Formats: sequence, C-alpha cells, structure tokens
Amino acid sequence: MILQYWWKILSVVLLLYTFIAGMVVPLKPGILEVRPSSGGTGELLQLQVTGYNTDYTRGAEGLRAWLKMKEDLALAAEKTEVLSERQLELTFRIPDYLPANQKVQDFTLIVDDAHNGASVLPSAVFITQDSVAPAKGQALWPSDEIGRLHEKEQMTFPFRNILSETIRNTYFHVPLWLGMVLIFLGSVVFSIRYLRGFREADDQKAVALTTVGILYGILGLVTGAIWAKNTWGAYWSWDVKQNMTAIALLIYFAYFVLRNSFEDPERKARLGAVYNIFAFATLIPLIYVIPRMTDSLHPGAGGNPAFGSQDLDNTMRMVFYPAVIGWTLFGYWMASLYYRAQQLSSKMWERHTV
Amino acid sequence: MKLLKEIGWLLGKELTLEWRTKYAISGILLYVFSTIFIVYTSFIQVQPNVWNALFWIVVLFASVNAIVKSFVQENSNRQLYYFQLVNPTAVILSKILYNIGLLLLLSLLSWLAFSVVAGNPVRDAGAFFLALFLGSVGFSITFTFIAAISGKADNSATLMAILSFPLVIPILMTLIKLSAQALGLLQDTDTESDILILLAIDLILVGMAFLLYPFLWRD
Repeated sequence: MILQYWWKILSVVLLLYTFIAGMVVPLKPGILEVRPSSGGTGELLQLQVTGYNTDYTRGAEGLRAWLKMKEDLALAAEKTEVLSERQLELTFRIPDYLPANQKVQDFTLIVDDAHNGASVLPSAVFITQDSVAPAKGQALWPSDEIGRLHEKEQMTFPFRNILSETIRNTYFHVPLWLGMVLIFLGSVVFSIRYLRGFREADDQKAVALTTVGILYGILGLVTGAIWAKNTWGAYWSWDVKQNMTAIALLIYFAYFVLRNSFEDPERKARLGAVYNIFAFATLIPLIYVIPRMTDSLHPGAGGNPAFGSQDLDNTMRMVFYPAVIGWTLFGYWMASLYYRAQQLSSKMWERHTV
Repeated sequence: MKLLKEIGWLLGKELTLEWRTKYAISGILLYVFSTIFIVYTSFIQVQPNVWNALFWIVVLFASVNAIVKSFVQENSNRQLYYFQLVNPTAVILSKILYNIGLLLLLSLLSWLAFSVVAGNPVRDAGAFFLALFLGSVGFSITFTFIAAISGKADNSATLMAILSFPLVIPILMTLIKLSAQALGLLQDTDTESDILILLAIDLILVGMAFLLYPFLWRD
C-alpha cells in the first residue's frame, strides 16, 4: 500500500512543509523606509532609517553604513546612532559634486552590523546637484571601501523592500502556475494516448486533469491578484501576463464548451482530444513567448530584476522546489479522485436508467 | 510528390467552386464594405491608432466569416468522397493555402477600402504588407483548423468564435504591434523578433494541424 500511494503521501508531506516553512521562517532584517529620501550636494544629510525585523541595539557596536552609487563608489556614514531597536540615524556628508553625468542620482543604502547582518535598500536616496561635473565629483568622492559584510547564517527569507512579508506568496503563486502547466501537459499526454488507442478511460483522465488545471489556473490568478494588490496597488492592472493567463483560461473554458456541443460520446472525446492538443500548443507562445516581448510589471521584464538572480536565495529554494513538486503531485491526486468520482457517477447513472 | 499533386488538384477545386457560386467572396466583400461604411459614418475623422485597431478588428471578423464555411459548404457525403480519393493532410493543407490567398485578398481590399473612406495613415507600405501577409497566414492556419473542428457541431459559427478568438489573440497582438510600426505610431526596434515569433507560432500551428487533422475527418 505504501508503495502504491507513496506519491500521495509525498505530496501531503511536501505541502505541509511548504505551508509550515513558508509561513514560519522569519524574514531577514531589512530596511523598510529612509527619510528624507532626497538631498542636495554639499549638505550634511541626516537619514532616519526604519528597519524591519531588526534589533539595532544589539548590533550597535561596529554598525556601519554606506551610500553606494555603483560598484566602487560608496560614501561611508560619518556618524551612526542607534535610536531604538528599529530606528537608526545616519549622518552623511555629501560632497559638492557627484561623480555622475546627470543632475539627480540615486543611491543605494547599505547598513551592516554583526547582529543583523547586511541589509540593502536600492534607490534609497536621490541626491540633486546644482551643476554637473563628473570629473570634479570623481576627485571629491571619497570612494570609501565597503568592508567585509556580515552574512546571516540562519534560516531566513530575503527581505525585499516592496515585497516584504508577501515574498512568501512565491511558494503559492508561482508553484501553482508551474503545477498548472505540468497538469495540462499530463492532460495532453492522455489526449495523445486517447487518439492512439481510442480508449474512453484516457479521455476521461484528460478531462479530469484539465479540470484540475483550470482550478490551479484560477488559484494562480487569485493569489497573483492578491499579491498585485499589495505590491502594485491594484488587483488587476492589465499587465501582459495577467491578460495572457486570463486568455489561457478562456481557451480551456472553450474546451468544455466544445465538449458539451456534441451528443455522441466518441465524437466528443475525439474532437476534445484534438482541441486539447492544439490548445496546449498555442498555450506555449501565450504564456512564455508573448510576455517576454512586451513590458510587464512582473519580475524579469520591463527592467524589473528577475526573481531567480536576487531573491530566490538558497533558503527560498529549499521551500520553492518542494512546493512545485508538492502542488503538482497534489493536483494529480485531485484529478485521479475526480476521475474516479466521474466513473462511479456514470456507473450509477447506468444502473438507474436500466 | 503525390501530396503536392493532390494539393494542386484540391486548390483548383476550391477555386472552381468559388468561381461558380461567387457566394462567399461577394458576401465577405459586402460585409467588409458595410463595416467600413459604418466605421466611417461614426468616426468621420479617424486617428491613426484608432485606424489600426479598427482595421484589424474588421479583418479579424471578416476572416472568421470567410473561413467558417470552409468545411460546411460541401456536404459530408462529398467530403467522404474526397477522403477516399486523397490524403487527409492534402485536404487541410489545400484549405489552409486557399484561405491564405483568400484572406490576403480580403485584407488588401480592406486596406484599399479603408484608405478610400478613412484615409491611409500607412507610412511604410512594405512593412504593412508584410504584417498583412503574416496575419493572413496565422489567421488562416488557426481558423481553418478550428473550422474543421467546429464544422462537426451543429452551431458551428458560434463555436468557431468561442474556440478561435482566444487562440488567435497572441497572433493579433503581435500583428497590431507590427502594423503600428508601419503606421509610424511606435518607434520600436524589435521588428525582427516580432516577425520571428509570428513565424514560430505559425510553424507550431501548421505542424499541429498537419498531425491532428487525420483524426478529425473520419466521420
């Protein structure tokens, strides 16, 4: 029995792990807010930093901070003062000129101490200069070296400024999509098998998988919409990927409309299988090709950094990949239950009619 | 070789059939011209971006109407007769080729009619023609295959729209982008990748149609 049901047990274990680890593991200390977010050249800039999950009082000894422009151009804080566990006051002396070719330049804030580890806030401060003189700026710029940063060794998820706690949705939104594609793939395999052998069971399995795939698609859309509300500010922002996935769902709704328009079960199964295969072939350009062409709010498009490079660190991978496998196996389990329920109900139907 | 001969023979048959009835082409032309007339009377002054969107909507609906009849105009007994004579892939390929020609003619006529009544904002005629050609190919493959499926049902016209519109949206979006460049609305650099994407989609779809059609004809 264990041998037969191992994948069902595995899916439950993996999903439990996903829910527990995905919800319990804390976020890395990060920088929530910096005020003021702009300044001018030649000023003494005092920044009020609000941390997230931080305990600055315990790391006050040897706390360092930099404003970084690019790889080897950074300005160290002149004075750092810990106000409370979550509040810092940093003082920077901005030189008279910036080593930049534009009037306004954005700087990344890096804070590092032994207790909280290093945290980064991209484009934290915008500095305006009155006249542009990159050469002078280059000479004036102290180019303080960013010393060895402390890496946190604990199990933590990375902190991203606009994502913060919602980063945990990575274990639900993204695996649901991947699971959907894998489940549709399984449905296509059964459709192909149907066309090779014309066994009704194969078609029924394809239908069950498509149903679960649609469920996953809707769940992916809903989790995405909730995430979008928290990060982009609206449930639906006509993003290319949102549109494309809505269209993908329409394609699969059409699959059921097509099936319902035939009386003859053999014809229903055969034409359904043909359409299912054709629809999956158009799904590939729809979900993977078109969103890459146009700008999107999603990570990895329109100048947004991809998740893989920055955010999906090793701790997250330890939850993300099991989540993908867990959701997919769980989907197959749901499909097999649905298939068996359909079989039983058709049997009951036959018994009633005879 | 035999396949090519069969395709040629079937294409000839399609043309003769069309020439004898002239029912489809005249109906479609009337449709296109009346739509354009409505567009003109309601807009009078058409901005290039509106022109672009309207043009493709008219072409899209005209294409669906032109192709939906592909598999229902001849009765099923005669289709059974063809299938005994020729290879089913020859049937679908000849229909696709014939429909490419039909749609190209249709979209060129729409372009002509649009430029007469609503002005011609196209700056780069070559690029626009390329968009029309790629559009005809993509629409023709998708719609012909879906017409083959929906032709089996009773309410084929409704089913055709439900099944084919979601499938054709990626092609349509790319086409609108391409033609927006031809109209000078968009200064984009990535024309080549758009064309490649369209060709790749066409290739996938024609391959699928080629493989799957033999399962459709048998009844």
